[in-house]
Amino acid sequence: MTSQSPQGDSPTSSLPDRGAETAAFNGKRKKKVAEIYQALNSDPTDVAALRRMAISEGGLLTDEIRREVWPKLLNVSTSDPPPISRKSLRESKDYQQVLLDVRRSLRRFPPGMPEEQREGLQEELIDIILFILESNPQLHYYQGYHDIVVTFLLVVGERLATSLVEKLSTHHLRDFMDRTMDNTKHILNYLMPIIDRVNPELHDFMQSAEVGTIFALSWLITWFGHVLSDFRHVVRLYDFFLACHPLMPIYFAAVIVLYREQEVLDCDCDMASVHHLLSQIPQDLPYETLISRAGDLFVQFPPSELAREAAAQQQAERTAASTFKDFELASAQQRPDMVLRQRFRGLLQTEERTKDVLTKPRTNRFVKLAVMGLTVALGAAALAMVKSALEWAPKFQLQLFP
Amino acid sequence: MASEMESSLETSFMSSGALSGSSVFLPPARSRIFKIIVIGDSNVGKTCLTYRFCAGRFPDRTEATIGVDFRERAVEIDGERIKIQLWDTAGQERFRKSMVQHYYRNVHAVVFVYDMTNMASFHSLPLWIEECKQHLLASDIPRILVGNKCDLRSAIQVPTDLAQKFADTHSMPLFETSAKNPNDNDHVEAIFMTLAHKLKSHKPLMLTQPPGDGVTLQPEPKPEVTCWC
Repeated sequence: MTSQSPQGDSPTSSLPDRGAETAAFNGKRKKKVAEIYQALNSDPTDVAALRRMAISEGGLLTDEIRREVWPKLLNVSTSDPPPISRKSLRESKDYQQVLLDVRRSLRRFPPGMPEEQREGLQEELIDIILFILESNPQLHYYQGYHDIVVTFLLVVGERLATSLVEKLSTHHLRDFMDRTMDNTKHILNYLMPIIDRVNPELHDFMQSAEVGTIFALSWLITWFGHVLSDFRHVVRLYDFFLACHPLMPIYFAAVIVLYREQEVLDCDCDMASVHHLLSQIPQDLPYETLISRAGDLFVQFPPSELAREAAAQQQAERTAASTFKDFELASAQQRPDMVLRQRFRGLLQTEERTKDVLTKPRTNRFVKLAVMGLTVALGAAALAMVKSALEWAPKFQLQLFP
Repeated sequence: MASEMESSLETSFMSSGALSGSSVFLPPARSRIFKIIVIGDSNVGKTCLTYRFCAGRFPDRTEATIGVDFRERAVEIDGERIKIQLWDTAGQERFRKSMVQHYYRNVHAVVFVYDMTNMASFHSLPLWIEECKQHLLASDIPRILVGNKCDLRSAIQVPTDLAQKFADTHSMPLFETSAKNPNDNDHVEAIFMTLAHKLKSHKPLMLTQPPGDGVTLQPEPKPEVTCWC
């Protein structure tokens, strides 16, 4: 199998197509493609710009671009593929479970794909998962992990998917791959506080229904890959999540619930009804609007501000949020861009949402970011995204979120 | 008193309108809800069984269940409209350890499922039963044991007499069935309906009844156990 996507290079853009606006969108799209390649080709690669592109409207537009940009977002080199030795893999302890889940994952593959090709990809999927688990004994397989891996496999092919998912597994997905799901549960605990900040009435209703947060579990641990049937929407969201803080999927989950406020409130106030309603995710969500809304909420109510509530029932644990800082630091240090690197270092030393940062800010933006407790890279991207999203789609936003 | 007793089962009457602020002049026809949790190892067919009962057919393709799925069907028993809610759970151990407990709350019955073609899934049952005991407040909640995939005759690993012995030990009726076999259409239905009848006649005193008072569901008569495929 080469690293060719089974979709070929067909664009998986989710830009709306609305007659008169089409031309304008095409113009923007062209411009965006040019900007992405400019960022890719600059020396050193302008990763901050790529993050912005991945977040802003339309995301990375095509799978061809994703193959180039996703590795940059994860700081994975495309030139040193890990050797996959398939020999011993199929004796591992997780083999049976992985096999069961991958065999049942037919829905994740494009509908028209020939059976033979699909079966080949399923074999590759099994190999990638087992290889990563074997190389990282601290990681534990969970049902739903295969939904994430298949997305990477379909976009970037086996070789690169292995590198990308391995990096992702030790960072963004790390908490889901603990021996227990305690940390996963902890992350789910962020959901209700976010909803509470935006819409206390909805929050209270859901609390009275005792609906819990398990309806969002598959959303979180598969990055929505398990519940969205249109692959274009899935990859669009992956663009967004790859460019963002590991907790962004829970903000996105909150945004979906908030978007469905009226439906929820119209529902019987009991666990079954609300769980049932929310776990059936609508397939026609206004993704771009929701993405910008999620970014907004992240800036307004950063994880640090919600942490206390989220941790109320749990002792503080090491979550992806903390490992992401290491990740950012590591990736910043590996990059040759000295200016950015020094800036990172300076801020990382003084960050932890302390007043120190407030007293010696470099710019207003950084004051704001430090106060918000964001990691620097994400913060810049998130702010840029919010700004560009407002430029691009102000009317949708006003309509939906007055 | 009668209505008080009934309220130990959830009623849709209680919940509708009260908090949503809509003005309801006439309460909707009150229907009792039986909440049943379906548990067992991965790939034993929990999703197919629940789907079969609620949608009336075998699903084209199912995927791993992540967390807990919910299915519901309204039935009529002795002239009473009853909603049967099935909570279909993830089979992988890590999910049940920290995620599934929430759904044990207020369940009225438990369905344990194993795969007749997979001995390991049968051997996991004591773990499931133990875990269920820890989560359930009442000890006399009806429980049944379902061996699935009985249509795969040549691949059967769990003999009926072994399963029956196990079921007897735990005071559960045993059903061997197939969610898939089209000739077996009524059997899955019959299993859940049997359970629903049991629940309907079961005195709703689960929390006040002293344990071990003989209310435990008696094993079904042996003839029920034969495979109906």
